[in-house]
Amino acid sequence: MRRSFALLAVTATLLGATACGSSDAPSTPADEGTPTKVTVGVIPIVDVAPIYLGKEKGFFSSRGIDLTMESGQGGAAIVPGVLSGQFQFGFSNMTSLMVAQTQNVPIKVVVNGVASTGKQGADFGGVTVKGDSPIQSAKDLAGKKVAVNTLKNIGDTTVRESVRKAGGDPSTISFVEIGFPQMPAALAAGQVDAAWVVEPSLSVIKAQGGRVVAWNYADAAPNLTVATYFTSNKLLQEDPDLVKRFAEAMNESLAYASAHEDEVRQVLGTYTQIDQKTRDAMTLPEWPTEINRASIETLATLGKNDGVFGDKTPDLGQLLP
Amino acid sequence: MTRILARLGLALALPAALFAAWWLGTAGSDNFYVPPLRDILIRFPEVWTWDRLRADVLPSLIRLAAGYTVAVLAGVLLGVLVGSGRRVRAVLEPVLEFFRAIPPPVLVPVIMLFAGIGDTMKVVVIAAGCVWPILLNTVEGVRAVDGVLADTCRSYGIAGPSRLWHLVLRSASPQIAAGMRQALSIGIILMVISEMFAASNGLGFTIVQFQRSFAIPDMWSGILLLGLLGLALSVLFRLVESRALAWYHGQRRAQRGPAR
Repeated sequence: MRRSFALLAVTATLLGATACGSSDAPSTPADEGTPTKVTVGVIPIVDVAPIYLGKEKGFFSSRGIDLTMESGQGGAAIVPGVLSGQFQFGFSNMTSLMVAQTQNVPIKVVVNGVASTGKQGADFGGVTVKGDSPIQSAKDLAGKKVAVNTLKNIGDTTVRESVRKAGGDPSTISFVEIGFPQMPAALAAGQVDAAWVVEPSLSVIKAQGGRVVAWNYADAAPNLTVATYFTSNKLLQEDPDLVKRFAEAMNESLAYASAHEDEVRQVLGTYTQIDQKTRDAMTLPEWPTEINRASIETLATLGKNDGVFGDKTPDLGQLLP
Repeated sequence: MTRILARLGLALALPAALFAAWWLGTAGSDNFYVPPLRDILIRFPEVWTWDRLRADVLPSLIRLAAGYTVAVLAGVLLGVLVGSGRRVRAVLEPVLEFFRAIPPPVLVPVIMLFAGIGDTMKVVVIAAGCVWPILLNTVEGVRAVDGVLADTCRSYGIAGPSRLWHLVLRSASPQIAAGMRQALSIGIILMVISEMFAASNGLGFTIVQFQRSFAIPDMWSGILLLGLLGLALSVLFRLVESRALAWYHGQRRAQRGPAR
């Protein structure tokens, strides 16, 4: 008897989850005058500063968009929100989006999100080691334990490329998954040999005496497009006008953020816990309005060679606008 | 024979009905996150090959066994200590209640600081969650030792380790078993949770990876496997328990009157 109870519990949970997954929020067409409510799923990191700044500057409200940001754990958590209609738009890195595309998830990139500065020595993400580590260059990372925030994603494929370009054997690196906020402690305690981090953790590690041995975003492709904003194919068909207005507002925000670095550092204080000192010191990413297609093609090739997409190849024509 | 068949039918009827409902309910599903059950069942044998079971499920089970064993040993040891002395109990109980109330998942980042990011951390997380029901049940079991038996032991001069083994642990064992049973399901939950941090293999890790790489039928097949695993472990536990505590179940039956 108790056996069937156990299975009942399992099945009930499954059915419960099934019921939750199928709620479709109706999208309301935009009337003249009343602003359309738009919720965007973002990861509360430096990369999304332009959307917060753009909201503050009224770039969205002037286009009839009543914008709300909601935090998600990462691209994989935001995609379900966008598909179910809970979010109209989402923010995710390009490798995650290409993985989704190879699995035929019905989404499409709308507008650029964030890009690498492309500068060795001054990018917003890099592979760090402890100050006294014997690792001196990307080549030395071969055979070492390297922390990334998610496995089989943009971090490990680009780090492998850095090692490959430096003449090391990337297949011998063992990657472990640790959240960016935990990385400075894991690196200091010697639990990993190196950690791939982005700002603000990069500044934290530098402040505790760490060194950067590889600029993996800059190594992978010049001015790599790291992440973009996307929407569901459904919304794109039902309300192309809203998508267009969002893209325009977003482009204005990106351009404004690129031109007003001080205001970006200021707005970071409103949605992150980064302290003033780190905010002023850290390297900001770039926010071009153009999606760098060539860099995404490179990223796709890297991912494919590393087996991130299984035996499939991402169809960028389907994914990119 | 017919009685056994009837019992089996009773046990399987509801799962079968639920599976049928699931099958029919999702047969024409075009929701990306709710694939038809048919697709999930097709993926199941393809995903959970022997290689994968060895590479991902076995490490999980070993960590679960290690964490569970640590929890049982620590829980019973500490439980006997706390249960047998009133003063010890008065000193320790508030502290234990404090630690018990902290969910182990929130402790993971802290545990990572001293236990590292390897298997030790995962075993500590499992043990830290499993120990409480065992500990508290042991305390209660030890406190409730039959007074007549305790007096008898004393008058026969039974003391020390043999008193502990033959009287205290024996009479507390039904309650310890109840605690261990609760701890088992907590252990499975924590096995999965511990693998969501700094892991590179394991069942929980694999399911999360499937979810992140949008391999949704594969993810569901992992959830099914997790449920089956829990079921198998609980059946195994009952088997062991009914053997080890045969005397207790017999006594209960005798007290309740003639067996039907």
